Amino acid sequence: MMMRKQVLLLLLFLLFILEGTIVPWLLPGSWQNILTPNLVFIVLLFVSIYHNRHTALVLGIIFGMLHDVVFYGDMIGVYSLVMGFTTYIMGFIFRIPRAPMPLMMTVVILGSLLFDSMLYAIYRVFSLTQVSYDWNLLHHILPDLVVHFVFGLIIYVPLRKQLEKIARRGKKEKAA
Amino acid sequence: MLKLFKLLGNKRLFVILIALVMFIALMGFTLGPRANLSWPEKFLRDTVGFVQNIFYKPAGYVAGLFKDIGNMRDIYKENEQLKIALAQYTREKANYNFMEEQNKDLQEALHFTEAQKEKYNYSYHIAQVISVNSDPVNRSLVIDLGARDGVKVGQSVISVKGMVGVVSHVSNFTSTVKLITSMDAKDPNSNGIAVTAMNNHQTFGIVESYDEATQMLIMTQIKQGDPIKKGDTIVSLGDTDKYPRGLIIGTVESVQESQFGKTWTAMIKPAAEFQDWKQLFVVFTPEEQK
Repeated sequence: MMMRKQVLLLLLFLLFILEGTIVPWLLPGSWQNILTPNLVFIVLLFVSIYHNRHTALVLGIIFGMLHDVVFYGDMIGVYSLVMGFTTYIMGFIFRIPRAPMPLMMTVVILGSLLFDSMLYAIYRVFSLTQVSYDWNLLHHILPDLVVHFVFGLIIYVPLRKQLEKIARRGKKEKAA
Repeated sequence: MLKLFKLLGNKRLFVILIALVMFIALMGFTLGPRANLSWPEKFLRDTVGFVQNIFYKPAGYVAGLFKDIGNMRDIYKENEQLKIALAQYTREKANYNFMEEQNKDLQEALHFTEAQKEKYNYSYHIAQVISVNSDPVNRSLVIDLGARDGVKVGQSVISVKGMVGVVSHVSNFTSTVKLITSMDAKDPNSNGIAVTAMNNHQTFGIVESYDEATQMLIMTQIKQGDPIKKGDTIVSLGDTDKYPRGLIIGTVESVQESQFGKTWTAMIKPAAEFQDWKQLFVVFTPEEQK
């Protein structure tokens, strides 16, 4: 039981590292300025739906903070707030045990849209970006959405199995 | 409002509101210029940086290998051009040596102080990129030089082709580079670069923002009648202490009248390619070495 949770944490950390190191090399040059895949976030959406939204909230805040501190450009706390909030809200709205695949993919799409839009909104409020939302939507948010969707499809089967195992064991322990 | 409180449960809404306020306070606090990072931040950055270092380099090599095979055909052509350029450089080197000699003599004759003589004697320290953040607004890189190697906030970072960005935060073993593509006139943390043309020093302007839609830097405050023209190479002027002299920024793509008339605005295509990061150079100015 505990083992699986630690593996999940390690997996998230590994994904975070891959995001900054390997992923840019996998993308063709001209796409590197457009796509900003956030793989950790997608995994957290799965955690939020299939395991527990409170766990997802805490993990979102922790890994968002990690992202903020390591890539500290303008300010700290943006990713932390957005990742925590979005995963929690998504888990809060879709409170369905054993959600089927189309529903999960809807969550990925909505979550991805909400995530990038919130990021844009915060940067806009602090006037760190001047581009219009329409432009941003077309050039960053939608391409991101496609990558997130494909990544969600790839990890759907293995991740759901593992997460449901964690959830089931958690329930058993509570019952005992 | 009261109904809303009841709907969500008083406690939960309260916690959410407090968390929101705290996050906004945190963002506001970290937005302005900060002299030093706190130790938890430094520790986290250095630890993660170490792990990233293990991943980034091998990935770069593998990706580079495939790219090299793809580029095989271009290499022959490139080699030809490089040979021509090299011949030109050797010819100019002789001329340059004479001029430098003469310059030194003149400085001697005019009793320049040691600091004045050393002012433009920059040193370039090679740095390895260890990870990339591709967030469109907060584009930053992490490099493997830190406070231990003498890196300080505000130093310029260049690639082989041109200026890339400015060191924004430093921890012991790593530092973050903020790219010039995130430059913005309204951003409190970014400073404009005073620039001139490489071949004509009468040109003067300030590069202080980047247009995401056209992927060009915007050079403003050019006087009317300035000899600037399309194709000029734009370099930093280095009058202030913020940026060293002679860093290549880019080439002029177009010149038009600015929004308010009176001055001109030029669009500049950045010289550096903001992709496939490998080695970069941190520019150390002599004052900072002491």
